[in-house]
Amino acid sequence: MALLEVRALTRRFGERIVLDAIDFDIEAGRIAALVGPNGSGKSTLLRCVAGADRADDGEVRLNGRILDETHPEVREAVAVGLDDIDFFADLSVAEHLELISFAHGGRDRDGVDRVITEFGLQPARDQLPATLSSGQRRRLALASCFVRPRRLLVLDEPEQRLDTAGLSRLATRLLAEKEAGVAVLMASHDADLVAAVADERIELGE
Amino acid sequence: MTAPLRQRGPSDDPAPGSSADPVPEPSAGTSFGPAAAPPPVRELRRRLRAGRRRHHPEALTELLGDLYMLLLGAVIYGAMFLSGAPAQWRALTGTGDPAARSWLALAALLAGTGLLWQALRAVGPLLAGPATLSWVLSAPVDRRAWLRPRFAGLVAAAAALAAVLAVCVTVAGGRTDGTELVVTGITGAVYGVALAGLGVVAQTQPRRRWPRLSAPILMGAGAVVALVVVGADLARVPISPIALPLTAVLLGLGLPAAVAAVVIGLRRLHRLDRIALSSGAGLANALLVSAMSLDPGQLVALVESRRNRRTGKIRGRRLRPAGRWWLLLQADLVRLTRRPGALLAFAALLLAQYALALALPSLAGPAQVVGAYLAGGRFTAGLSQISRTPALRRMLGGPDWLLRLVHLVLPAAAAGLFWLLTVPVGAALSAEWTPAVLIGMVVAVYRSGSRPPMNYGGAYAVTPMGMIPVDLLRQIFRGWDVLIGVALLVLLLG
Repeated sequence: MALLEVRALTRRFGERIVLDAIDFDIEAGRIAALVGPNGSGKSTLLRCVAGADRADDGEVRLNGRILDETHPEVREAVAVGLDDIDFFADLSVAEHLELISFAHGGRDRDGVDRVITEFGLQPARDQLPATLSSGQRRRLALASCFVRPRRLLVLDEPEQRLDTAGLSRLATRLLAEKEAGVAVLMASHDADLVAAVADERIELGE
Repeated sequence: MTAPLRQRGPSDDPAPGSSADPVPEPSAGTSFGPAAAPPPVRELRRRLRAGRRRHHPEALTELLGDLYMLLLGAVIYGAMFLSGAPAQWRALTGTGDPAARSWLALAALLAGTGLLWQALRAVGPLLAGPATLSWVLSAPVDRRAWLRPRFAGLVAAAAALAAVLAVCVTVAGGRTDGTELVVTGITGAVYGVALAGLGVVAQTQPRRRWPRLSAPILMGAGAVVALVVVGADLARVPISPIALPLTAVLLGLGLPAAVAAVVIGLRRLHRLDRIALSSGAGLANALLVSAMSLDPGQLVALVESRRNRRTGKIRGRRLRPAGRWWLLLQADLVRLTRRPGALLAFAALLLAQYALALALPSLAGPAQVVGAYLAGGRFTAGLSQISRTPALRRMLGGPDWLLRLVHLVLPAAAAGLFWLLTVPVGAALSAEWTPAVLIGMVVAVYRSGSRPPMNYGGAYAVTPMGMIPVDLLRQIFRGWDVLIGVALLVLLLG
């Protein structure tokens, strides 16, 4: 059985239909990339899957059950990296990551330190969010997905604002996630990244 | 989940690579053993507070300082209001019909409740900040336990605000008996609790129709009551005052509703999803910023953007070939068809003028001026856009004054039509003064609609409320300055 099933997902804004009865499945250990031009509904689809937006029709199932963000099991299983992430102005980079790890039951700071190093955030670990560059903020947002348990990873254009080294690390990380049995649904405009990691391409806006 | 599949967190990750390699291998890995349980909410909250205080130790003193300023303001302005309001009311309401007034008070209560309900739903009413949503509530923590203090705060604030409002309205109505004020305050508090509690219950049921329909039904009921009262007066049919005491009825209905709303709300807190907790945050934030900076620009922009987003797509209309100015006027008319709310507001203002003339006849004259100003203001979308965007004016070409004049046609016509339709219940002006008042009103509408963009870079004025940009004062009073003059003139002539 697929880990994630999306059936007839439809989202309208007034009379404008952004998503028109979208269907797809993702199995554990597979990466599906949403591709399509700007305005084709990639982010909207990710938001509907992550429970950040309400679809007008259709359903999203996780492990066979309707995905309902109010269930703690769903929040434990789905790690979300959308562009609506915000930060506590008075918590440092490391404190943010420790907080989310702790909220998920994590007790070991070493794991957080490893992710900080992996995402190149070591020099900024004690900085407050206001002092971070846009790339560092992006890396912090991405890192938040990897200091916690996950079975499904939902990422919206994770390549944005990453430098070449960051992109390479991201690809390595996504392949490792796949290897570990995590299903990944991501939207991307980076053809190289998609070619390197994705098992399936879901075209939107055709 | 059908299977208890769990994946390990960072604590279970393998050790990083050798010390020579500063970037460890990705530590992903799915182990399907049991994950650690999330911490108790109290512990998580303590940890978050401790972290935040480390970098921002004066947060508590700042909060207490703000609270002190709020309370001080409430005491000073409350005392001024209580000492002056009863006498003002007696001066204003001497000739009103008490029976009509009691029914119109009911109509105002219904319509006001509808508006409040809509406002509550627009901002949440229960919210979680975007950072809390991203870093705390995205985890499997007990959401009900996390939100319980917020819910209690919301209910307490609603009770306090509604009680104060109810007491103020009673005092403004000329009643100062202590027992009556206490009963009214309790009724107000119960009403506030019921509204806030029901608001949260509605938030947990986004697919149900009752939350969406309640506001139009309440406002419609208020409008029907007002229409019947106004119609009866125009047809010279006498009406009796409301037989039941409104306060007792509200208390009798409100108390069980408030208890039920709080109990159900508490039980359903865990059903508040990320969308429900975040959808009003933008509006609440814009409201706060606009209130703090006295600049409604951000709030207006957000409301407009949400309305456009809801509309999504429109059917384009071909403008009839004609002269350039006629084309611009057609475009302004097309704009109006995409804002049906403006017509509804126009009708509501008309009804309010007739109702006010019946309940508070001595205020009918100035109210007609204010009503015409507000009615015209509903139609200034084109004028506002033209005035705020130099690039748009350059694109359209022609002199600026002519562009503004063309976009003033619709608001001026709306203000004039409002005036015409309310002549029977408006200011009693002689023929020689009417044109002057009408021109003043149109000038007020023009000044309000043609506000340029806010400029924070100019001079600052020292006021009792601190340093305020001069341009902000200009923005706030633009339009109202002329309007107040015209209203005073009408009051004097009346």
